[in-house]
Amino acid sequence: MNHQNARPDINNSHHIRSGNATANIQFDRVGFRYDRDGEILSDVSFSLPQGSMTFVTGPSGAGKSTLLKLIYLHMRPSRGLITLFGQDTSQIERASIPALKRRMGIVLQDFRLIEHLNVFENVALPLRVAGQKRANYQDDVLGLLKWVGLGARAHALPPTLSGGEKQRAAIARAVIAKPEILIADEPTGNVDDDIGHRLIRLFAELNRLGTTTIIATHNIALIPDGANILSIKNGHISGHISGVEIS
Amino acid sequence: MNTPPPNSPAQMNAQMTITAQPLLSQNKKDAQPLFMVLVILAFLATLTLLAVASGYRAAAGWHDNLDGTVTVQIKPGENTKQAEQAKAILSELPSVATITILPSEHSKKLLQPWLGDTPLPDDLPLPILLDVKLKAKQELNIKHVTSLLSAAGIRADIDDHSQWDEEIKRTTGAARVLSLLALALITIASVAASIFATRAGLTRQRRLMDVLHQVGAPPRYTARLLSFRFAWSGFKAGAIGALAALLVSVLVGLLFSTSGGFSYFLPGLHLSLADIYLVIAVPIILALIIALTSWQTVVKTLFDEIYP
Repeated sequence: MNHQNARPDINNSHHIRSGNATANIQFDRVGFRYDRDGEILSDVSFSLPQGSMTFVTGPSGAGKSTLLKLIYLHMRPSRGLITLFGQDTSQIERASIPALKRRMGIVLQDFRLIEHLNVFENVALPLRVAGQKRANYQDDVLGLLKWVGLGARAHALPPTLSGGEKQRAAIARAVIAKPEILIADEPTGNVDDDIGHRLIRLFAELNRLGTTTIIATHNIALIPDGANILSIKNGHISGHISGVEIS
Repeated sequence: MNTPPPNSPAQMNAQMTITAQPLLSQNKKDAQPLFMVLVILAFLATLTLLAVASGYRAAAGWHDNLDGTVTVQIKPGENTKQAEQAKAILSELPSVATITILPSEHSKKLLQPWLGDTPLPDDLPLPILLDVKLKAKQELNIKHVTSLLSAAGIRADIDDHSQWDEEIKRTTGAARVLSLLALALITIASVAASIFATRAGLTRQRRLMDVLHQVGAPPRYTARLLSFRFAWSGFKAGAIGALAALLVSVLVGLLFSTSGGFSYFLPGLHLSLADIYLVIAVPIILALIIALTSWQTVVKTLFDEIYP
């Protein structure tokens, strides 16, 4: 199955289409504001099927990061309904959030690597936190590091890594626990276009293995041909482009 | 999703040994200011505790020394025969346990603070003192004893120390209240400073807390990790501070003893073996306070700032 064919389902009349039983992320008229400021996101509705790969684009400050933060439960919406893995997120208790987080892999622009831990330990962190024994995951971590091109850098500390290496380590950490959803916020923001293209190919390969992948980027040059795109402008979804060739 | 298979993980593993690293940074330089604050707090708290305990013991000792004793002073000019006679009369009383006729050197020694080391003439008229110890929980009727001695022609003053005892009780009572107040204030300051220092230390771990939350660590996992580290650090700081205070107390005690125990009416720092429990208790209590504070701070931070 080519998961890139599983297109995001949006409706600009603010209604989720029915019958999408396999969607694992749904937004229904979601709005978000900080205190009394104007809404960062307004009436956002879409549905992302399981196994889809979607790029969220838009100018800086459009609300891309806020959209992702709402998905990975870093914030709650001011209004509207978000459904994640079939659960209404407003009904999720705090105690259940860590378990949901473990079903998601998150890559942020600033990498969020722990500087005193080497690459191996950084990547193994989700498994360690989940209580797995080192002997059970050591081969998996080393294998994944090799796959992302960091096989020889397992002992290296983050401050000694290049931007691209840091980003690949962050991606490896996000996928080591085999998450159902992979969320990346400007994953190519700190690397040049060549490394950026390689990282996008890496995400595409992960997506082919079944992970629902959402990538926010303002750099449309990195989005592959035929990709699913959610375009955000001024807090609104301004369009859904799929199969569009972007030069 | 399946993790992409590496070419040969087992082979790679054989070639590469990755030593496990602790999740928390071992950088002691960062934690040093907090550690020093805790050492000083533990030192002050232990010193105060030891001083209070010592003061209590000294007050109890003074009271015990005066309680149950009576001093009979045979007026100067009388001969030692009268002292023996008085001893015989007092021995007949059922409440009296022992009577000791104190040698004249004892009376001379009592004059030393006023007259210095100047040798006293042998014919200086000095009273003869009888140290009377009473049986447990017994009292002496001073009027009755005075009349018995007068009837025998003995001129004597009888002092049951009640006046001194009352004054000592008042003085030591006030000293106890003051020392307990000081202890309470130092304890409150120690707890407040520990909480503040722990929270300041936790801000340095904020990145780690964020990342652990990001990878799905439950709050109790993060709280346990940080609380244990802070509590252990607090225990070590507490132990160093408490031992330093014990050492200072011992040295001060030795200083008092070498100066003849003279300490301007203040109780000297006389330690007892029971004080070791106080020294042990300080780091344990400090560690518990810090563990509780850091646990609450981590959980509150996670719920208030990280969890929506």
